[in-house]
Amino acid sequence: MSFTNDQLERYSRHIILKEVGVKGQKKLLKSKVLIIGTGGLGAPAAMFLAAAGVGTIGLVDSDNVELSNLQRQIIHLTKDVGKPKVVSGQETINEMNPDVNVVTYQEWVSSANIIGIIKDQDYDFIIDGTDNFPAKFLINDACVLTEKPFSHAGIIRFHGQTMTYVPGQGPCYRCIFKNPPPPDAVPTCKQAGVLGVMGGIIGTIQATEAIKYVLGIGELLTGQLLTYDALDMDFRKIKLPLVKDCPVCGESAKIKELIDYEGAVCELKQN
Amino acid sequence: MSAIKANSYVDITDVLCPITFVKAKVAIEELEDGQILEIKMNGGEPLNNVPRSLKDEGHKVVQVEDHGNGTYTVFVKKGDL
Amino acid sequence: MKIIVNGNEVVLDKEVVVKELLDKQKVSMQQYVTVQVYDDIISRDDFEKIALKEGDSVEFLYFMGGGAQ
Ligand SMILES: [Zn+2]
Repeated sequence: MSFTNDQLERYSRHIILKEVGVKGQKKLLKSKVLIIGTGGLGAPAAMFLAAAGVGTIGLVDSDNVELSNLQRQIIHLTKDVGKPKVVSGQETINEMNPDVNVVTYQEWVSSANIIGIIKDQDYDFIIDGTDNFPAKFLINDACVLTEKPFSHAGIIRFHGQTMTYVPGQGPCYRCIFKNPPPPDAVPTCKQAGVLGVMGGIIGTIQATEAIKYVLGIGELLTGQLLTYDALDMDFRKIKLPLVKDCPVCGESAKIKELIDYEGAVCELKQN
Repeated sequence: MSAIKANSYVDITDVLCPITFVKAKVAIEELEDGQILEIKMNGGEPLNNVPRSLKDEGHKVVQVEDHGNGTYTVFVKKGDL
Repeated sequence: MKIIVNGNEVVLDKEVVVKELLDKQKVSMQQYVTVQVYDDIISRDDFEKIALKEGDSVEFLYFMGGGAQ
């Protein structure tokens, strides 16, 4: 594969970087990243991965674009209201970068379909951009069981957090958080509100992790939880322990099959 | 001028920064360590920057020829990074 | 005694267990907070049993949803 002149120009700022170069840009163009949820986190992540020339981007979301999404889900435009989010996301990416092949899955992830979606294109890296705990635990367990690296993240109000799981290189989400909280026990951003830029900051960090993983450069957020407080403008990296008795990634893991946890009442329409 | 035998040739006189360096970098990445790339470039900004950027990446500028018409030929030996 | 909670120094007039520290720091919904002391994740069943020592580094880790909606 050799670059066209347009590609040389489009990716010139990458190619100039010693850490990326021609080889790295080719790796990006051959890479496949799955983004689950095309909302506050997934939208900016998808846009930066598309701009970077990630060759295949999978988008998973069952929702349609609503006016209230547009305050933060920047991949969708006012004219897209009412459209399936995956279609709107695909159109934006196609207009941005013709090098990217977008694969859409207009559905919610569940124990029944998530492995099939991950294996559909044998994705290299998965981004959790979902807003609910059943999905977050499902994505974690599916990635552990299929040995896929993924980026977890959550945002609420003025706070965000993210960590990266790489098989065999650090704790998974369940190591730290064990089980989902009961439905409605912990507010999601629909109930609590969220500053629009939070997804931009944390989702872009998730995209950065995906790019670094594909390129094999730098230090990932494995074994570390990065927390961000926008009001104090404070980033902290918390070192996380490896949990030997984790029920899904531990030495004698009990979870061998995926679990569909019950969602909060206000999220029921998703399930 | 001495006869340096280049393994590959690229002309970057028809492009502007940063594509000048990008084209040179793409060409040199296709070579094996120790092989030589012959680059035709304009004087001024390209001549000031492209050889320096290639040096920063671990390659060695072995010879510069001035054609007397504002263009130059720079021979660069690929280093191992 | 002094301990470090989420990176900030907290001064306590006496030794406390995890549960008392959560109360003192006004952490709500304590059953959904993950507490890490150095390299150990403390089981929620042990919040009333585990005492914190001078200089301990404690992290409260919170569930954070949000994203897609
Ligand atoms: Zn685990």
